[in-house]
Amino acid sequence: MMRLSPHCEMLLQEFRDRRDELLRLDSHVYELLCQHLSQQGIELNSLEHRVKTEKSLAGKLELKGEKYRELSDITDLVGLRIVTFYTDDVDKVAAIVSKLFNVDWSNSVDKRKLHELTSFGYNSLHYICSLHEGSMRFEIQIRTALQHTWSAIEHDIGYKGAVKLPPQYKRQFSRLAGMLELADDEFSRLRTTMTEYRRQIQALVKSGNLSEVTLSTDSFRSYLELRPLDRLNQRIAAVNQAELFPASLMPFLPILEHFGMESLGQVQAMVDDLSDAAYQLALSQLAITDLDILSETVGMQNLCIVYALKHGGTRDDVKYIYDKLYGKNDANALLADGIIRQYEAIGQK
Amino acid sequence: MKTTFKEEDNYYVMYFEGRLDTAASAQVEEEMKPLYECSGHDIILDCANLEYISSSGLRLFLGLLKTAKPKGSHVYIRAINEDLRQVFAMTGFINLFEFK
Repeated sequence: MMRLSPHCEMLLQEFRDRRDELLRLDSHVYELLCQHLSQQGIELNSLEHRVKTEKSLAGKLELKGEKYRELSDITDLVGLRIVTFYTDDVDKVAAIVSKLFNVDWSNSVDKRKLHELTSFGYNSLHYICSLHEGSMRFEIQIRTALQHTWSAIEHDIGYKGAVKLPPQYKRQFSRLAGMLELADDEFSRLRTTMTEYRRQIQALVKSGNLSEVTLSTDSFRSYLELRPLDRLNQRIAAVNQAELFPASLMPFLPILEHFGMESLGQVQAMVDDLSDAAYQLALSQLAITDLDILSETVGMQNLCIVYALKHGGTRDDVKYIYDKLYGKNDANALLADGIIRQYEAIGQK
Repeated sequence: MKTTFKEEDNYYVMYFEGRLDTAASAQVEEEMKPLYECSGHDIILDCANLEYISSSGLRLFLGLLKTAKPKGSHVYIRAINEDLRQVFAMTGFINLFEFK
Protein backbone atom coordinates (compact mmCIF):
# COMPACT_ATOMS: atom_id res chain seq x y z
CA MET A 1 0.00 0.00 0.00
CA MET A 2 1.44 3.36 -0.99
CA ARG A 3 1.68 6.10 1.57
CA LEU A 4 1.28 9.53 0.05
CA SER A 5 1.71 12.92 1.66
CA PRO A 6 -1.44 15.06 2.05
CA HIS A 7 -0.23 17.23 -0.86
CA CYS A 8 0.13 14.20 -3.12
CA GLU A 9 -3.26 12.85 -1.94
CA MET A 10 -4.76 16.18 -2.97
CA LEU A 11 -3.17 15.94 -6.43
CA LEU A 12 -4.45 12.37 -6.77
CA GLN A 13 -7.99 13.45 -5.83
CA GLU A 14 -7.86 16.29 -8.36
CA PHE A 15 -6.79 13.71 -10.96
CA ARG A 16 -9.83 11.55 -10.12
CA ASP A 17 -12.11 14.60 -10.40
CA ARG A 18 -10.66 15.62 -13.77
CA ARG A 19 -10.42 12.14 -15.30
CA ASP A 20 -13.35 12.66 -17.71
CA GLU A 21 -11.81 15.91 -18.93
CA LEU A 22 -8.50 14.08 -19.53
CA LEU A 23 -10.24 11.28 -21.42
CA ARG A 24 -11.91 13.82 -23.68
CA LEU A 25 -8.58 15.57 -24.30
CA ASP A 26 -6.94 12.21 -25.07
CA SER A 27 -9.48 11.23 -27.69
CA HIS A 28 -9.63 14.72 -29.20
CA VAL A 29 -5.83 14.85 -29.68
CA TYR A 30 -5.80 11.27 -31.00
CA GLU A 31 -8.49 12.00 -33.59
CA LEU A 32 -6.82 15.22 -34.70
CA LEU A 33 -3.53 13.40 -35.20
CA CYS A 34 -5.12 10.49 -37.06
CA GLN A 35 -6.91 12.87 -39.40
CA HIS A 36 -3.91 15.10 -40.20
CA LEU A 37 -1.33 12.31 -40.50
CA SER A 38 -3.60 10.39 -42.83
CA GLN A 39 -4.24 13.54 -44.91
CA GLN A 40 -0.47 13.90 -45.35
CA GLY A 41 -0.23 10.24 -46.41
CA ILE A 42 2.12 9.26 -43.60
CA GLU A 43 1.90 5.57 -42.83
CA LEU A 44 2.47 4.69 -39.22
CA ASN A 45 3.57 1.58 -37.43
CA SER A 46 1.28 2.56 -34.55
CA LEU A 47 -0.34 5.48 -32.78
CA GLU A 48 -0.89 4.70 -29.12
CA HIS A 49 -2.72 6.93 -26.68
CA ARG A 50 -3.65 6.68 -23.05
CA VAL A 51 -4.63 8.54 -19.94
CA LYS A 52 -2.34 7.68 -17.04
CA THR A 53 -3.82 5.13 -14.65
CA GLU A 54 -4.43 6.11 -11.06
CA LYS A 55 -1.98 3.45 -9.93
CA SER A 56 0.77 4.73 -12.20
CA LEU A 57 0.18 8.34 -11.09
CA ALA A 58 0.25 7.30 -7.42
CA GLY A 59 3.59 5.57 -8.05
CA LYS A 60 4.98 8.70 -9.67
CA LEU A 61 3.73 10.90 -6.82
CA GLU A 62 5.24 8.55 -4.24
CA LEU A 63 8.65 8.92 -5.94
CA LYS A 64 8.71 12.63 -6.71
CA GLY A 65 5.34 14.09 -5.77
CA GLU A 66 6.71 17.06 -3.89
CA LYS A 67 8.22 18.54 -7.02
CA TYR A 68 4.74 19.06 -8.51
CA ARG A 69 2.97 22.11 -7.17
CA GLU A 70 -0.22 21.53 -9.16
CA LEU A 71 -1.68 18.65 -11.13
CA SER A 72 -1.05 20.61 -14.33
CA ASP A 73 2.70 20.44 -13.61
CA ILE A 74 2.53 16.74 -14.49
CA THR A 75 2.77 16.79 -18.28
CA ASP A 76 2.19 13.14 -19.15
CA LEU A 77 -1.27 12.57 -17.68
CA VAL A 78 -2.33 12.28 -21.31
CA GLY A 79 0.32 10.66 -23.47
CA LEU A 80 0.48 9.68 -27.11
CA ARG A 81 3.17 7.74 -28.90
CA ILE A 82 3.55 7.96 -32.66
CA VAL A 83 5.69 5.19 -34.11
CA THR A 84 6.78 5.73 -37.72
CA PHE A 85 8.40 3.23 -40.08
CA TYR A 86 11.08 5.61 -41.30
CA THR A 87 13.39 8.04 -39.57
CA ASP A 88 12.55 10.77 -42.16
CA ASP A 89 8.94 10.57 -41.08
CA VAL A 90 9.81 11.43 -37.46
CA ASP A 91 10.63 14.97 -38.60
CA LYS A 92 7.56 15.17 -40.81
CA VAL A 93 5.31 14.08 -37.95
CA ALA A 94 7.07 16.52 -35.61
CA ALA A 95 6.34 19.36 -38.03
CA ILE A 96 2.68 18.39 -38.16
CA VAL A 97 2.50 18.14 -34.35
CA SER A 98 4.03 21.59 -33.88
CA LYS A 99 1.59 23.04 -36.41
CA LEU A 100 -1.44 21.43 -34.77
CA PHE A 101 -0.61 22.12 -31.14
CA ASN A 102 1.05 24.66 -28.94
CA VAL A 103 4.46 23.13 -28.11
CA ASP A 104 6.12 24.02 -24.82
CA TRP A 105 9.64 24.17 -26.23
CA SER A 106 11.30 24.77 -22.87
CA ASN A 107 10.10 21.34 -21.67
CA SER A 108 10.30 19.43 -24.96
CA VAL A 109 13.33 17.36 -25.80
CA ASP A 110 14.86 16.26 -29.06
CA LYS A 111 16.82 13.40 -27.58
CA ARG A 112 18.34 12.68 -30.94
CA LYS A 113 20.57 15.72 -30.35
CA LEU A 114 21.92 14.48 -27.03
CA HIS A 115 24.20 11.99 -28.78
CA GLU A 116 24.34 9.50 -25.95
CA LEU A 117 26.69 6.85 -27.25
CA THR A 118 24.92 3.87 -25.75
CA SER A 119 21.40 5.05 -26.38
CA PHE A 120 19.28 4.55 -29.43
CA GLY A 121 15.67 3.99 -28.42
CA TYR A 122 15.60 7.08 -26.31
CA ASN A 123 16.72 9.08 -29.32
CA SER A 124 13.11 10.02 -29.80
CA LEU A 125 11.28 13.31 -29.76
CA HIS A 126 9.31 14.19 -26.66
CA TYR A 127 7.02 17.17 -27.16
CA ILE A 128 5.02 18.72 -24.36
CA CYS A 129 1.97 20.21 -25.98
CA SER A 130 -1.33 21.89 -25.24
CA LEU A 131 -4.32 22.74 -27.37
CA HIS A 132 -3.75 26.41 -26.58
CA GLU A 133 -1.69 28.50 -24.19
CA GLY A 134 -2.56 27.70 -20.58
CA SER A 135 -4.73 24.62 -21.26
CA MET A 136 -4.00 21.11 -19.91
CA ARG A 137 -0.71 19.80 -21.26
CA PHE A 138 -0.06 16.40 -22.80
CA GLU A 139 3.01 14.56 -24.04
CA ILE A 140 3.65 13.29 -27.55
CA GLN A 141 6.54 10.93 -28.24
CA ILE A 142 7.65 10.39 -31.81
CA ARG A 143 10.01 7.60 -32.74
CA THR A 144 10.71 4.97 -35.39
CA ALA A 145 9.68 1.35 -35.09
CA LEU A 146 13.30 0.30 -34.51
CA GLN A 147 13.72 2.90 -31.76
CA HIS A 148 10.50 1.63 -30.24
CA THR A 149 11.76 -1.95 -30.26
CA TRP A 150 15.03 -0.84 -28.71
CA SER A 151 13.18 0.99 -25.93
CA ALA A 152 11.05 -2.06 -25.19
CA ILE A 153 14.10 -4.37 -24.98
CA GLU A 154 16.08 -1.84 -23.00
CA HIS A 155 13.21 -1.59 -20.55
CA ASP A 156 12.99 -5.39 -20.32
CA ILE A 157 16.72 -5.74 -19.67
CA GLY A 158 16.57 -3.01 -17.05
CA TYR A 159 19.42 -1.00 -18.51
CA LYS A 160 17.98 2.21 -17.13
CA GLY A 161 17.75 0.68 -13.66
CA ALA A 162 19.68 1.55 -10.56
CA VAL A 163 22.57 -0.85 -11.14
CA LYS A 164 25.48 0.81 -12.93
CA LEU A 165 26.40 -1.04 -16.09
CA PRO A 166 29.96 -2.41 -16.31
CA PRO A 167 32.00 -0.98 -19.27
CA GLN A 168 32.02 -4.21 -21.30
CA TYR A 169 28.19 -4.28 -21.35
CA LYS A 170 28.06 -0.58 -22.13
CA ARG A 171 30.16 -1.35 -25.17
CA GLN A 172 27.66 -4.03 -26.22
CA PHE A 173 24.87 -1.48 -25.96
CA SER A 174 26.92 1.03 -28.00
CA ARG A 175 27.49 -1.49 -30.77
CA LEU A 176 23.79 -2.34 -30.92
CA ALA A 177 22.80 1.33 -30.81
CA GLY A 178 25.10 2.07 -33.73
CA MET A 179 23.82 -0.88 -35.73
CA LEU A 180 20.18 0.04 -35.26
CA GLU A 181 20.78 3.69 -36.08
CA LEU A 182 22.51 2.60 -39.26
CA ALA A 183 19.62 0.24 -40.08
CA ASP A 184 17.10 3.06 -39.54
CA ASP A 185 19.04 5.31 -41.92
CA GLU A 186 19.42 2.52 -44.48
CA PHE A 187 15.67 1.80 -44.48
CA SER A 188 15.03 5.48 -45.18
CA ARG A 189 17.63 5.46 -47.96
CA LEU A 190 16.08 2.31 -49.43
CA ARG A 191 12.68 3.98 -49.49
CA THR A 192 14.08 6.99 -51.32
CA THR A 193 15.85 4.72 -53.83
CA MET A 194 12.68 2.69 -54.45
CA THR A 195 10.60 5.83 -54.93
CA GLU A 196 13.13 7.09 -57.46
CA TYR A 197 13.10 3.71 -59.25
CA ARG A 198 9.29 3.78 -59.44
CA ARG A 199 9.41 7.30 -60.92
CA GLN A 200 11.85 6.16 -63.59
CA ILE A 201 9.65 3.16 -64.44
CA GLN A 202 6.58 5.36 -64.66
CA ALA A 203 8.42 7.76 -66.97
CA LEU A 204 9.52 4.91 -69.25
CA VAL A 205 6.01 3.44 -69.33
CA LYS A 206 4.51 6.85 -70.13
CA SER A 207 7.03 7.51 -72.89
CA GLY A 208 6.08 4.22 -74.50
CA ASN A 209 9.53 2.60 -74.23
CA LEU A 210 7.95 -0.57 -72.93
CA SER A 211 10.58 -2.97 -74.27
CA GLU A 212 13.15 -1.28 -72.02
CA VAL A 213 11.11 -1.89 -68.90
CA THR A 214 11.69 -5.11 -67.00
CA LEU A 215 8.50 -6.87 -65.94
CA SER A 216 8.13 -6.50 -62.18
CA THR A 217 5.43 -5.79 -59.63
CA ASP A 218 6.11 -2.04 -59.80
CA SER A 219 6.42 -1.80 -63.56
CA PHE A 220 3.32 -3.94 -64.17
CA ARG A 221 1.33 -1.75 -61.78
CA SER A 222 2.47 1.40 -63.64
CA TYR A 223 1.62 -0.27 -66.96
CA LEU A 224 -1.88 -1.11 -65.74
CA GLU A 225 -2.42 2.55 -64.86
CA LEU A 226 -2.39 3.15 -68.64
CA ARG A 227 -5.43 0.81 -68.76
CA PRO A 228 -4.10 -1.22 -71.71
CA LEU A 229 -6.94 -3.73 -71.52
CA ASP A 230 -9.81 -1.24 -71.64
CA ARG A 231 -10.37 -1.51 -75.38
CA LEU A 232 -10.54 -5.31 -75.32
CA ASN A 233 -12.75 -5.33 -72.21
CA GLN A 234 -15.15 -2.83 -73.74
CA ARG A 235 -15.34 -4.87 -76.93
CA ILE A 236 -16.16 -8.00 -74.92
CA ALA A 237 -18.65 -6.12 -72.73
CA ALA A 238 -20.45 -4.87 -75.83
CA VAL A 239 -21.44 -8.47 -76.70
CA ASN A 240 -24.18 -8.40 -74.03
CA GLN A 241 -24.16 -4.66 -73.30
CA ALA A 242 -22.52 -5.69 -70.05
CA GLU A 243 -21.44 -3.61 -67.09
CA LEU A 244 -17.72 -3.95 -66.21
CA PHE A 245 -17.03 -4.61 -62.55
CA PRO A 246 -13.68 -3.15 -61.38
CA ALA A 247 -11.03 -5.76 -60.50
CA SER A 248 -7.27 -5.83 -60.14
CA LEU A 249 -5.17 -7.39 -62.90
CA MET A 250 -2.15 -7.84 -60.63
CA PRO A 251 -2.92 -11.57 -60.08
CA PHE A 252 -1.97 -12.08 -63.76
CA LEU A 253 1.66 -11.09 -63.16
CA PRO A 254 2.85 -14.57 -62.08
CA ILE A 255 1.13 -16.04 -65.16
CA LEU A 256 2.95 -13.62 -67.48
CA GLU A 257 6.22 -14.46 -65.72
CA HIS A 258 5.42 -18.16 -66.14
CA PHE A 259 5.05 -17.51 -69.89
CA GLY A 260 8.67 -16.32 -69.75
CA MET A 261 7.85 -12.66 -70.35
CA GLU A 262 10.63 -10.40 -69.13
CA SER A 263 9.60 -6.94 -70.30
CA LEU A 264 6.45 -4.86 -70.58
CA GLY A 265 7.12 -4.78 -74.31
CA GLN A 266 6.32 -8.50 -74.45
CA VAL A 267 3.09 -7.96 -72.52
CA GLN A 268 2.07 -5.17 -74.89
CA ALA A 269 2.91 -7.39 -77.88
CA MET A 270 0.54 -10.03 -76.49
CA VAL A 271 -2.21 -7.39 -76.15
CA ASP A 272 -1.57 -6.09 -79.67
CA ASP A 273 -1.28 -9.47 -81.39
CA LEU A 274 -3.87 -11.57 -79.60
CA SER A 275 -6.69 -9.20 -78.62
CA ASP A 276 -8.72 -10.24 -81.63
CA ALA A 277 -8.47 -13.95 -80.84
CA ALA A 278 -9.19 -13.24 -77.14
CA TYR A 279 -12.30 -11.30 -78.15
CA GLN A 280 -13.46 -14.17 -80.37
CA LEU A 281 -12.95 -16.64 -77.52
CA ALA A 282 -14.90 -14.47 -75.05
CA LEU A 283 -17.61 -13.90 -77.66
CA SER A 284 -18.07 -17.65 -78.20
CA GLN A 285 -18.70 -18.13 -74.47
CA LEU A 286 -20.80 -15.08 -73.72
CA ALA A 287 -22.97 -14.72 -76.82
CA ILE A 288 -25.08 -17.73 -75.84
CA THR A 289 -25.77 -16.26 -72.38
CA ASP A 290 -27.55 -13.17 -71.13
CA LEU A 291 -24.76 -12.32 -68.68
CA ASP A 292 -24.58 -8.55 -68.56
CA ILE A 293 -22.04 -8.07 -65.80
CA LEU A 294 -18.37 -8.93 -66.28
CA SER A 295 -15.22 -8.50 -64.26
CA GLU A 296 -12.46 -6.29 -65.71
CA THR A 297 -10.28 -9.39 -65.66
CA VAL A 298 -12.25 -10.90 -68.53
CA GLY A 299 -10.02 -9.54 -71.32
CA MET A 300 -6.72 -10.48 -69.69
CA GLN A 301 -8.01 -13.94 -68.77
CA ASN A 302 -8.96 -14.73 -72.37
CA LEU A 303 -5.68 -13.23 -73.62
CA CYS A 304 -3.66 -15.51 -71.35
CA ILE A 305 -5.58 -18.59 -72.43
CA VAL A 306 -5.11 -17.72 -76.10
CA TYR A 307 -1.41 -17.00 -75.51
CA ALA A 308 -0.88 -20.37 -73.79
CA LEU A 309 -2.70 -22.32 -76.51
CA LYS A 310 -1.00 -20.43 -79.35
CA HIS A 311 2.36 -21.33 -77.84
CA GLY A 312 1.68 -25.07 -77.83
CA GLY A 313 0.04 -25.09 -74.43
CA THR A 314 -1.88 -28.14 -73.25
CA ARG A 315 -4.77 -28.77 -70.88
CA ASP A 316 -2.27 -28.60 -68.00
CA ASP A 317 -1.04 -25.18 -69.08
CA VAL A 318 -4.58 -23.81 -69.20
CA LYS A 319 -5.35 -25.47 -65.87
CA TYR A 320 -2.24 -23.73 -64.51
CA ILE A 321 -3.77 -20.35 -65.43
CA TYR A 322 -7.03 -21.22 -63.64
CA ASP A 323 -5.13 -22.62 -60.65
CA LYS A 324 -3.15 -19.39 -60.34
CA LEU A 325 -6.24 -17.21 -60.63
CA TYR A 326 -8.84 -19.23 -58.76
CA GLY A 327 -6.74 -21.38 -56.45
CA LYS A 328 -5.66 -24.95 -57.07
CA ASN A 329 -8.68 -27.16 -57.71
CA ASP A 330 -9.28 -30.39 -59.68
CA ALA A 331 -12.42 -28.83 -61.15
CA ASN A 332 -10.17 -26.37 -63.02
CA ALA A 333 -9.23 -29.23 -65.35
CA LEU A 334 -12.87 -29.40 -66.48
CA LEU A 335 -12.86 -25.64 -67.06
CA ALA A 336 -9.67 -26.09 -69.10
CA ASP A 337 -11.32 -28.81 -71.22
CA GLY A 338 -14.31 -26.53 -71.84
CA ILE A 339 -12.28 -23.53 -72.91
CA ILE A 340 -10.02 -25.63 -75.19
CA ARG A 341 -13.16 -26.94 -76.94
CA GLN A 342 -14.35 -23.33 -77.42
CA TYR A 343 -10.93 -22.35 -78.72
CA GLU A 344 -10.98 -25.13 -81.28
CA ALA A 345 -14.58 -24.30 -82.21
CA ILE A 346 -13.64 -20.75 -83.24
CA GLY A 347 -11.04 -22.13 -85.60
CA GLN A 348 -7.95 -21.05 -83.67
CA LYS A 349 -4.80 -23.09 -83.69
CA MET B 1 -36.42 -20.25 -55.63
CA LYS B 2 -35.94 -20.99 -51.93
CA THR B 3 -33.33 -19.73 -49.48
CA THR B 4 -32.62 -20.78 -45.91
CA PHE B 5 -30.51 -18.78 -43.48
CA LYS B 6 -28.66 -20.54 -40.68
CA GLU B 7 -25.87 -19.80 -38.23
CA GLU B 8 -23.40 -22.67 -38.17
CA ASP B 9 -20.17 -22.61 -36.10
CA ASN B 10 -19.97 -18.83 -36.20
CA TYR B 11 -20.58 -18.80 -39.99
CA TYR B 12 -23.62 -17.13 -41.51
CA VAL B 13 -24.78 -19.69 -44.04
CA MET B 14 -27.37 -19.21 -46.75
CA TYR B 15 -28.66 -22.22 -48.68
CA PHE B 16 -29.90 -21.56 -52.20
CA GLU B 17 -32.31 -23.92 -53.92
CA GLY B 18 -33.63 -23.58 -57.47
CA ARG B 19 -33.01 -20.93 -60.13
CA LEU B 20 -31.62 -17.54 -59.12
CA ASP B 21 -32.87 -15.59 -62.12
CA THR B 22 -34.02 -12.01 -62.60
CA ALA B 23 -37.57 -12.83 -61.48
CA ALA B 24 -36.34 -14.33 -58.20
CA SER B 25 -33.65 -11.79 -57.44
CA ALA B 26 -35.80 -9.14 -55.70
CA GLN B 27 -37.13 -11.70 -53.23
CA VAL B 28 -33.67 -13.25 -52.70
CA GLU B 29 -32.13 -9.80 -52.14
CA GLU B 30 -34.61 -9.27 -49.31
CA GLU B 31 -33.85 -12.70 -47.86
CA MET B 32 -30.08 -12.07 -48.00
CA LYS B 33 -30.36 -8.98 -45.74
CA PRO B 34 -29.33 -10.81 -42.53
CA LEU B 35 -26.00 -11.62 -44.25
CA TYR B 36 -25.22 -7.90 -44.50
CA GLU B 37 -25.04 -7.69 -40.69
CA CYS B 38 -21.99 -9.93 -40.79
CA SER B 39 -19.43 -8.18 -38.55
CA GLY B 40 -17.41 -10.89 -36.84
CA HIS B 41 -18.83 -13.67 -39.02
CA ASP B 42 -17.68 -15.24 -42.26
CA ILE B 43 -20.35 -16.05 -44.80
CA ILE B 44 -21.00 -19.26 -46.73
CA LEU B 45 -23.24 -19.24 -49.77
CA ASP B 46 -24.21 -22.90 -50.17
CA CYS B 47 -24.97 -23.54 -53.81
CA ALA B 48 -25.33 -27.35 -53.73
CA ASN B 49 -28.96 -27.04 -54.90
CA LEU B 50 -28.62 -23.89 -56.95
CA GLU B 51 -29.41 -24.82 -60.55
CA TYR B 52 -28.91 -21.51 -62.35
CA ILE B 53 -27.61 -18.02 -61.69
CA SER B 54 -28.30 -14.99 -63.86
CA SER B 55 -26.53 -11.62 -63.94
CA SER B 56 -28.99 -10.38 -61.30
CA GLY B 57 -27.88 -13.23 -59.05
CA LEU B 58 -24.23 -12.45 -59.67
CA ARG B 59 -24.94 -8.83 -58.73
CA LEU B 60 -26.45 -9.96 -55.44
CA PHE B 61 -23.36 -12.04 -54.63
CA LEU B 62 -21.05 -9.17 -55.63
CA GLY B 63 -23.05 -6.67 -53.60
CA LEU B 64 -22.70 -8.89 -50.56
CA LEU B 65 -18.96 -9.24 -51.18
CA LYS B 66 -18.56 -5.46 -51.38
CA THR B 67 -20.31 -5.02 -48.04
CA ALA B 68 -18.67 -7.94 -46.25
CA LYS B 69 -15.03 -7.33 -47.24
CA PRO B 70 -14.56 -3.95 -45.49
CA LYS B 71 -16.02 -5.56 -42.35
CA GLY B 72 -13.28 -8.19 -42.49
CA SER B 73 -15.67 -11.00 -43.35
CA HIS B 74 -14.89 -13.63 -45.96
CA VAL B 75 -17.51 -14.79 -48.43
CA TYR B 76 -17.19 -18.45 -49.39
CA ILE B 77 -19.12 -20.20 -52.12
CA ARG B 78 -19.72 -23.83 -51.26
CA ALA B 79 -20.61 -26.88 -53.35
CA ILE B 80 -21.10 -25.06 -56.63
CA ASN B 81 -21.92 -27.24 -59.65
CA GLU B 82 -19.80 -27.26 -62.81
CA ASP B 83 -22.22 -25.19 -64.92
CA LEU B 84 -22.29 -22.41 -62.36
CA ARG B 85 -18.53 -22.61 -61.91
CA GLN B 86 -18.25 -22.00 -65.64
CA VAL B 87 -20.45 -18.89 -65.34
CA PHE B 88 -18.16 -17.54 -62.63
CA ALA B 89 -15.13 -18.37 -64.78
CA MET B 90 -16.34 -16.85 -68.04
CA THR B 91 -17.39 -13.60 -66.36
CA GLY B 92 -14.04 -13.40 -64.59
CA PHE B 93 -15.70 -13.30 -61.17
CA ILE B 94 -14.39 -16.61 -59.95
CA ASN B 95 -11.24 -15.09 -58.47
CA LEU B 96 -13.16 -12.52 -56.46
CA PHE B 97 -14.75 -15.20 -54.28
CA GLU B 98 -13.33 -17.95 -52.15
CA PHE B 99 -14.57 -21.47 -52.77
CA LYS B 100 -15.11 -24.24 -50.24
